[in-house]
Amino acid sequence: MPNMRINIGPIHPSTHGVLRVVAYVNGDTIDSVEPHIGFLHRGVEKLMETRMYMQNPSYTEKLDYVAPMGWDELYVSSVEKATGATVLENAQYARVILLEFQRIASHLLWLGTFANDLGQMFTIFMWAFRERAKVIKFLEDVSGSRMFYVNMRIGGLNGELPEDFKERAYSLLDYLGEQIPKYKSLLDNNNFFVSRTKGIGVLSKEDAIAYGASGPVLRASGVGYDVRKSSPYYIYDKLKFKVPLGTHGDAYDRYRVRYDEMLESIKIIKQALDLMPGGSVAGAKIKLIGQPAKPDTVIISRELPRGEGIIYLVPDKQKPYRIGMRSPAYINLSLLPKLAKGAKFADLFSIIGSLDVVFAEIDR
Amino acid sequence: MSERPYTDEELFNAEKEMTEITQNSLKKYKQTPSVMFTKLEDAIKAFSKDLVRWSRANSMWPLQFGLACCAMELMDFGSSRIDAERKGYLLFRGTPRQCDVMIVAGWVTKSMVPRVKRLYEQMASPKYVVAFGECATSGGPWYESYNIMKGIDQVLPVDVYAIGCPPKPENLFGALMKLQDKVGGKVAGDTERSLTENIRRAEI
Repeated sequence: MPNMRINIGPIHPSTHGVLRVVAYVNGDTIDSVEPHIGFLHRGVEKLMETRMYMQNPSYTEKLDYVAPMGWDELYVSSVEKATGATVLENAQYARVILLEFQRIASHLLWLGTFANDLGQMFTIFMWAFRERAKVIKFLEDVSGSRMFYVNMRIGGLNGELPEDFKERAYSLLDYLGEQIPKYKSLLDNNNFFVSRTKGIGVLSKEDAIAYGASGPVLRASGVGYDVRKSSPYYIYDKLKFKVPLGTHGDAYDRYRVRYDEMLESIKIIKQALDLMPGGSVAGAKIKLIGQPAKPDTVIISRELPRGEGIIYLVPDKQKPYRIGMRSPAYINLSLLPKLAKGAKFADLFSIIGSLDVVFAEIDR
Repeated sequence: MSERPYTDEELFNAEKEMTEITQNSLKKYKQTPSVMFTKLEDAIKAFSKDLVRWSRANSMWPLQFGLACCAMELMDFGSSRIDAERKGYLLFRGTPRQCDVMIVAGWVTKSMVPRVKRLYEQMASPKYVVAFGECATSGGPWYESYNIMKGIDQVLPVDVYAIGCPPKPENLFGALMKLQDKVGGKVAGDTERSLTENIRRAEI
């Protein structure tokens, strides 16, 4: 029997974004947890139905503000599929490189804030943001904007790459490859961090599949599912990379999977830069009336930093008739009542943090 | 044709009155403080006012309060690249009772408005509000949405606006420096704004 009901949020320093959690506790043990969402709802899918195809990327970018380029690329490629456009070969490489840089930036932000919540005060936050600032600067110089890039166009990117693109990418990779392994000693040798993550929020393999989890949360439970491997898009089938897996499915494994993914991303970018054939990457310019779409439903999926994102698009000729999205963070958040049951109250934030949720994407 | 609500004469008089009021308020501001103090008390009063202003302006504690995308730039503001602590801004507090500045970073939905108002009411006076980003300023890209407050200034008295989608952290730095000037008495309107004098006020 729960003997106390605790309200957390909607504005709380430890919930990144706006989440209200009502926890029923029995002493220090959580009996049940109810997440209340919808504080950031603004009706994106409905708004997108009133816009032309290429007016929408700025809406899709704001779905996941930690890694905007992922949703941008997912939406633009769904439009490409609907209109039957092909992507330039060099642009495919460039997109993979930029998306993997975006994945690194997203995981760095997650790592900094997660460790910050767990008592590793500010050291790792400062380190992670130092590296993230360099990645963001690079993406800004390529795309022209600091946070919401909106640099995907039908068939390619918004313009040619800078002349020193390759050299800068290589030197940035060297820097990241040197700095990121340093985090490991700071986190794995820290008793607070390890004891607050190991064995906390254990998710079994069966439950992870049954709840429909995806991304690092699923892979930490030992299920080797990655869209980049299972149904490769762009040039991912030409590249050699591993899919990091966890064994126990606890918060520590989720951290390790994301940490290893950053190192894998560095390998992916290096290979893609080596294989890059050269040539133009500029896509079609934005026109209000463009190539009309074929009347077939489009379903397209991508491996976003938070998991598998799917767009379901029923095309009209020049604008979406209906658009639906599968947000990985929403499905991962539905695991919270399951994971928090029986945990200590102090561990609630290590569980929420390890799921890596973004609320703009959940509420839409 | 419908009747006009005001005659020309009334409009002219109203305009004249408005000009007088603004000119008087400017005059009041331009008054130079007298240098001669007859009593020690007066001197202490005069200097202590400046001292209070100076200390308020140089320790602005913002509320740790992120709503949406702009909160990412708020995090970057707090990290190593900008180093906001050198100007006395950076001590993000978790509780509103210890804070001076509320940085509204992100869109405010209708279900969020009562909560934001509650947080503002919990802050101790003098308190200031910075609207950070397009969404908090005017609704931004979600202007046509049915669930968004079109500008936080309909609910709270905003002192400084920082424009951008999202504004760069440098922009927030600039906005807070503007606020510092205002609090420190370097520009007109150093007093705290109240909710009732808000032009765009909406009843919610």
